[in-house]
Amino acid sequence: MRLPEFEYFEPGSIEEAINQLEENSSCTIIAGGTDLVVALKQRLQNSSSLISLDKISSLKTIVNKDETVIVGAMSTLDDIINNTFIKEKLPALRKAAWDIGSPLLRSIATIGGNICLNTRCRFYNQSFFWRSSREHCFKTGGNVCHVAKKKSSCVSTFSADIPPVLISYRSKVKLVGTNGVRVIPLEEFYSGDGRFPNSILSGSKEILTEIEIPIPRNNLKSCYRKFRLRESIDFPLIGVSVAIQFNGEKRCEDARIILTGAGSGPVESEQARGMLLDKKLDTNLISNAAEAVVSEIYQFKTALVSPRYKRELAKVIISEAIKEVGGF
Amino acid sequence: MKRTIRIKINGEGKSLLVNVNQTLLDVLREDLELTGTKKGCNQGECGACTVLINGKPVSSCSLLAVKADGKSIETIESVAKEGQLHPIQIAFNEKGAIQCGFCTPGMILVTKNLLEQNPNPQIDEIKEAISGNICRCTGYLQIFDAIKSLAKS
Repeated sequence: MRLPEFEYFEPGSIEEAINQLEENSSCTIIAGGTDLVVALKQRLQNSSSLISLDKISSLKTIVNKDETVIVGAMSTLDDIINNTFIKEKLPALRKAAWDIGSPLLRSIATIGGNICLNTRCRFYNQSFFWRSSREHCFKTGGNVCHVAKKKSSCVSTFSADIPPVLISYRSKVKLVGTNGVRVIPLEEFYSGDGRFPNSILSGSKEILTEIEIPIPRNNLKSCYRKFRLRESIDFPLIGVSVAIQFNGEKRCEDARIILTGAGSGPVESEQARGMLLDKKLDTNLISNAAEAVVSEIYQFKTALVSPRYKRELAKVIISEAIKEVGGF
Repeated sequence: MKRTIRIKINGEGKSLLVNVNQTLLDVLREDLELTGTKKGCNQGECGACTVLINGKPVSSCSLLAVKADGKSIETIESVAKEGQLHPIQIAFNEKGAIQCGFCTPGMILVTKNLLEQNPNPQIDEIKEAISGNICRCTGYLQIFDAIKSLAKS
């Protein structure tokens, strides 16, 4: 399928980009475009103009500043994977970037694009022709959900790999708009609403410019595990990022367990976190925590596997992930 | 809406007037008639449309042509020189790593990039390098054989 007609702008600065965003009522920011180009071909996105951030070189840098790493939103996934500091200090971020798409996409796809990735559903991510045999669902502006008939809102699934890791590292994102600059914890960027899953997709007329990741202290161990139907070029059925700060006695001083593929936004398990805090890890505790996380995964069949299958898988990958950070 | 882009295509500098809603794949196949680059899924999932941009493999169906402005692009047409097949093409032929041939341009270009980065790849590295390229004929084993036969050691 061919791309629809649109206008294309390449502003040279963030200010210029914001002005164009303000002036054009139906416009979309394009980063790497690996997901957006497909969405345009499938007529999931109707934009009269695209604003490319390619020419804004300040968005492509990765620098250390004080106790944080500042990653420009237009850094490609390859830039993340090949950065030696990230490899050493933020291994879970590198793993999540590596697990996205294929080498052919990682050379152009960006970290900002993955953070802003739209939610997915087996009734939504289809061609225009395929979708035309059913009435519009909530995600395409209609009044029905084909997955959960009794629901009054969209239950499409959050499928980005990088945000769970960034949240587990307590990262913040910088959003720049006409009303100024705001720096917010990444979890606050997401709404949990399948139709408008993040502030930018809700139409905030802002640009995600950079991600601030605190450099982990010595005893913070982290990892990312992803399960998908194919070992490459696939979105996660379920993915988990685990980051645990151990104290000198190997007790869990802080723990964050964040899932993707488990809801319409990133899902943090508070219950499992509570179970791990102040404890030393052992196999019983790990399997109990994994059980607790699973109870927080939602029940909708938005992918090709049943929710029950997904929950069984989740138990396995969550246990494996906690074991990996615990050095088992 | 049209825009002029300057690209280096298989070593030759060109200035092209393209529609902003054309992908690089559309421009290669339709405007430049370089039909060695194939259109498979057209969604970035199969790797049939692989080209090398500044030496790196990219799915050209997922990239707007305007985004290739200023870049150097190599397609399968640049691999054989003066009527002589490239050693990678010879190895693919000899090992039976081609059947229908639809994935072959992409497979050969990712192999070219892999061997430039790593002249002696191990099997896991070979699998990783071709993980974005789907072949529905060979079952991949002959492709692994062909690439392994090109390793330096």
